Amino acid sequence: MMNIPCPFCGSRNEAEFAFGGPVKPDRPDPNTVSEGEWVAYLTQVPNPLGPVQERWWHVKGCGMWLTIWRDTRTHDIVEGPADAE
Amino acid sequence: MLYDVQIDRLPCFALFDLKGPATDLAAWADVLPAFAKPANTLTRQNGVDLCFTGPDRWILRADIAREDALIAALRPEKAPPEISITRVSDTLTFFRITGPDAAQVMSIGCPLDLHDSAFGPDAVSYSEFFGLKALVMRCEGGFDCAVEQSFGDMVADYLSRATA
Repeated sequence: MMNIPCPFCGSRNEAEFAFGGPVKPDRPDPNTVSEGEWVAYLTQVPNPLGPVQERWWHVKGCGMWLTIWRDTRTHDIVEGPADAE
Repeated sequence: MLYDVQIDRLPCFALFDLKGPATDLAAWADVLPAFAKPANTLTRQNGVDLCFTGPDRWILRADIAREDALIAALRPEKAPPEISITRVSDTLTFFRITGPDAAQVMSIGCPLDLHDSAFGPDAVSYSEFFGLKALVMRCEGGFDCAVEQSFGDMVADYLSRATA
């Protein structure tokens, strides 16, 4: 079980949050990238062994969306939202 | 295990969901208590609780007998576009859990740290209660906990089993 730092509420139990998926790279212009790069953008999600940037929704709390860096090996929150406690 | 608690299902409250900047809300309705500055705290004035539950998000709670007067004062249908005022009185069911073991019973269903040092007398927060989104606040000798009205009977059953 993780404690996730919320900018509004402070550190809260993971049970109050909904996972919003990893942060994807910016959407490329499909007219300027190769077909392979476009397909990769559409179908591949970041899944590293180590820190990954993720979105979480404090759905059972204040309702904020926040971005954290979580280490997939240890579940440590490597970096929380900039304005979190 | 037997807990030394009293569990009551409270009658309906007058509830309003307020959204928007505090300055705009305060300018629109002068019946509101002072807006709390710290997150997840409430202010009380003349029997009206104003709960700061999220960014630009507030819950107003008062006795149900004052609902019509509050509607007349808040004028939800005429609110300017910067703010939103919605009557939600019939959407939440409140349970009052009081007694020496109130915090123990709350901890069965709620992951919040409810110690006095972390959850003071003016604390209020949305959290989880038996897997449901719930509004949790302190009351005299215990806690008030509100869940969506349609889950009221289920939560009453959970509480009776947890304390049986």
